[in-house]
Amino acid sequence: MSSETTATDLSTAERLHVAGLHSAHGHYSDAPAGAVLSVRDLNVRFNTENGVVHAVRGVDFDLMPGKTLGIVGESGSGKSVTSMAIMGLLPETAEVTGSVRLKGQELLGLSDKAMCRYRGNEMAMVFQDPLSSLTPVYTVGNQIIEALTVHNPTMSKQAKEARAVELLGMVGIPSPKDRLKAFPHEFSGGMRQRVMIAIAIANNPRVLIADEPTTALDVTIQAQVLEVLHTAQEETGAAVVMITHDLGVVAGMADDIMVMYAGKPVETGSVDDIYYNPRMPYTMGLLGAVPRVDVAEKTSLVPIEGIPPNLIHAPTGCSFAPRCPLVSDACLQGEPALAPVGGTGDGTLEHRAACIKSEDLGADVDVHQIFHAPEVPVSRFDAVPRAERKAVLELTDVKKHFPLMKGALLKRRIGTVKAVDGLSFDIREGECFSIVGESGCGKTTTLLEIMEFHRDQDGEVKIGGLSNKAASDAKTKAAMRKELQMVFQDPTGALDPRFTVYEVLAEPLENSGMAKPAIRKRIMELMELVGLQPDHVNRFPNQFSGGQRQRIGIARALAVNPKLVVLDEPVSALDVSVQAGVINLLDLLRAELGLSYLMVAHDLSVVRHISNRVAVMYLGKIVEIGDVDNVFDNPRHPYTRALLSAIPVPDPQLERTRERIILQGDLPSPLDAPTGCNFATRCPVFAALPAAKQEKCLTLEPPLETATAPAPATGRPADGPPSAPTDQQFACFYPDGELDADMLVVHESL
Amino acid sequence: MTNLNAIDPAAVAEEAKIENNDVVIAKSRIIVRRFLRNKTAVTGLVIFVLLTVLSLIGGIFSSWDKETIDPFNIGMGPSSEHLLGTSQAGIDLYALTVEGTRVSILIGLVVGLVSVLIAAVYGCTMAYFGGKVDKVMLFILEALIMMPALLVVAVATSGGGNGLQQNLPSWLLLIIVLLIFNWMGTARLIRSLSMSLMQRDFVKAAQYMGIPARRIVWRHLVPNIGSLLVLDITRGVTGAILAEVAFSFIGIGIKVPDVSLGVLIGQATSQVSTFPWMFWVPLTVMFLLTGSLAMMNDGLRDAFDPSSSSIGSAKKKKKTS
Repeated sequence: MSSETTATDLSTAERLHVAGLHSAHGHYSDAPAGAVLSVRDLNVRFNTENGVVHAVRGVDFDLMPGKTLGIVGESGSGKSVTSMAIMGLLPETAEVTGSVRLKGQELLGLSDKAMCRYRGNEMAMVFQDPLSSLTPVYTVGNQIIEALTVHNPTMSKQAKEARAVELLGMVGIPSPKDRLKAFPHEFSGGMRQRVMIAIAIANNPRVLIADEPTTALDVTIQAQVLEVLHTAQEETGAAVVMITHDLGVVAGMADDIMVMYAGKPVETGSVDDIYYNPRMPYTMGLLGAVPRVDVAEKTSLVPIEGIPPNLIHAPTGCSFAPRCPLVSDACLQGEPALAPVGGTGDGTLEHRAACIKSEDLGADVDVHQIFHAPEVPVSRFDAVPRAERKAVLELTDVKKHFPLMKGALLKRRIGTVKAVDGLSFDIREGECFSIVGESGCGKTTTLLEIMEFHRDQDGEVKIGGLSNKAASDAKTKAAMRKELQMVFQDPTGALDPRFTVYEVLAEPLENSGMAKPAIRKRIMELMELVGLQPDHVNRFPNQFSGGQRQRIGIARALAVNPKLVVLDEPVSALDVSVQAGVINLLDLLRAELGLSYLMVAHDLSVVRHISNRVAVMYLGKIVEIGDVDNVFDNPRHPYTRALLSAIPVPDPQLERTRERIILQGDLPSPLDAPTGCNFATRCPVFAALPAAKQEKCLTLEPPLETATAPAPATGRPADGPPSAPTDQQFACFYPDGELDADMLVVHESL
Repeated sequence: MTNLNAIDPAAVAEEAKIENNDVVIAKSRIIVRRFLRNKTAVTGLVIFVLLTVLSLIGGIFSSWDKETIDPFNIGMGPSSEHLLGTSQAGIDLYALTVEGTRVSILIGLVVGLVSVLIAAVYGCTMAYFGGKVDKVMLFILEALIMMPALLVVAVATSGGGNGLQQNLPSWLLLIIVLLIFNWMGTARLIRSLSMSLMQRDFVKAAQYMGIPARRIVWRHLVPNIGSLLVLDITRGVTGAILAEVAFSFIGIGIKVPDVSLGVLIGQATSQVSTFPWMFWVPLTVMFLLTGSLAMMNDGLRDAFDPSSSSIGSAKKKKKTS
């Protein structure tokens, strides 16, 4: 880590900074007293085959005790590298300069051994993937005790064990004493993340860094884990650095926000400043790109075109300029510095933005206009009442049961997994139907059953009038494949890495017997249709960004002009800014080509944005189905209510005051599904019911009932006469029951 | 955005451009370009091609052939008459080397290519059908792996295969025996690779598009194990050449009067100090042969592998510091 190599091309001021690093007690005069962590001018460079990548370029922030800083940005913006640099976890080849001070003590330049005194003690980290951050061969208790032993060698064995039990209890693991001896594989993902948090707070750290702690988890579990993080922070009084790409997650948690782009903070400020008064186009774009689960009104999302810059070349102008709609010549003259823009000033961080036009931007500027968000496309089917449209897909009582076998030689059946259990719904022309639910509820199995289209299936699948029961010879199947195409979740895995884009798109066309010149013409059309440059057809998929690859996937699905496209989590693998572009594209295609979609998603905000109708699934059954606005605004089933309340909304004020239902536990294994209502084990209504009424939930299976329009008394104006039947159906005996108080959480103190 | 039915001049021009084929570049051209970018690989290819050509037409550069004995030059070093000297029997070493190289390359290429082909077909079939077919085929494979190849080669090429030996030249016999024992490892590898490929989304996508199974295997499975196949072919060729040398060396491979590099090396080992040229000449040729194949390996993999960093010469930039 010699500074000589870099000092030559640094300015005098920067050179002084670097020199300050090596003087033992050199003070940065601007660090406020009381800050538990202050980072100044942090720079990280990596040497790669292609040149030096300047991954983090001058990050400054101060963290006060008990406060939370949210670092937000796209992938590759340098947020994780920043946290790794603070923790000293970067490889030795990385060149880190600047200053990181923990309670006044300089951390940069310390040896690995010296850092070990701080890591896990004063500073702790929670990683993104809970499945791989625990060692599988040691018990959970062992791993917590290890963290205690390292930093408290004198602690007695009993004391350590008692502390471990206390920690597990603190993060909400039931019967912590017995679970101490459990191995990581006996825990679900959410539970493992709780254990990680327990390990992180074991030594009462002053700083807790959480790197995308909930990205790998389901929404209901995410709500639980965020809650645990919140309690952990309250218990220990630690300052938290929360790194995420999800603006919703930080809205309720953070006090300050730092938005990073291309390795540089481009806007900093208090939560309210950033969310309600963004002054930098990138922040505005990010906020506009997130669909809202709580807004019914249809507006297009704000797409941010282009991809983040390559950090091998030092940007000559503003790094966001190539993607910025407001770019002018002045933007290309040198990179703008973070300048104060005069916010409310209620956070630790002053509201600063790195944009020469921040004066003109403010709360009253319409982000949709700036980013030229497309008009909301209108399909020709939108005007036709639903009942008059043709059905493109009908499912009647579709079931998929997997037998569970045990035994090596003689296999015997020990149970049945009811992955899909009696599903019936239909999709009409020009409509988007979504299935939502936690992972493991049978969403994807449903899709696979539809794609399978086989005579021996349990239940009837009818695609564009072709039934799987009637004739499933090769000819019918081929006809059916023309009606129905699929877009996969992972755009990288769904494209053959050895095919050029041309070959990818040509495959379905060749299969349908199209002539070569016609195929070429069609491919050029398709490329343009999904917003890709036609001359990119010779490239291989790995030369495209994730969003572009998903566009190729969409183009392939559209190649044979299907009526129905099945979308399996089409945007969950994409960055927020890219996601908006793909969602807008899907919306546009639905309107222009009159497509119908069957979408599976766990992100309810995306579902709300794009769908017309929605079905909520729980353990292989639909528990609520209906028009998306009805279901989301007036959910009747307690599970729907819990799901909706678990979604974080990118609105700090709303997030602070709204009440949340935190479901207890995880999705039960489909193997021991309850006999009565599937949801009874986790149901907040059930928990509050008197024992006499609980009996009904435990013994009878609630059928899907048609909901009536809400009475005006609820404060919501009903569209028709009161108690008119709606499209909405739900399966619950006590939809209006009281919720159990234990499962409700309201943060009014924030 | 675009209206599918609109006809505008730009689109017409675009169409003309497509027709003239300057938009769509054939994949083979991309692969060749990528291969040519790797200097080491190209050098390897050049050496290999030169050796092959030499082994085929090398005879015309010398008036001697592999059977004529020169009674005046027995066991002589390189001279103007005999470029590489003569063997102990008085046969021109150049002619012998040319002949030996040809036999070695022939054995290497045939065994390398055919065994990988057998392995690919066998492995893909196992993976595609699965179940009972997989189990039975796997059992046969395991049984073959257990067989002591060395003994079978020894028996087939010497005592046991008398009837065969009279009908077939020894090099062909060696090819057949090497083939039988060479493909199993690759077949197992290919089976497991294709099994994991079958689970990938793009294979599912092809199935959902209604592409017939045969085409999925041919267009998605085989190319995706392609870089492995290419590597295995070059490795198989090298392996077969070395196996031939080894078998001939211990005297159970190619039999005199047939010549191969292995036979030449084997004959010369006992008198390296007295007749060094008899040993070093065939050994150098063998090194060039196997070395050139090893040099090609890397370039071939890069050319066929889409995830290689080779994205165009324009973007290549060396680290300066």
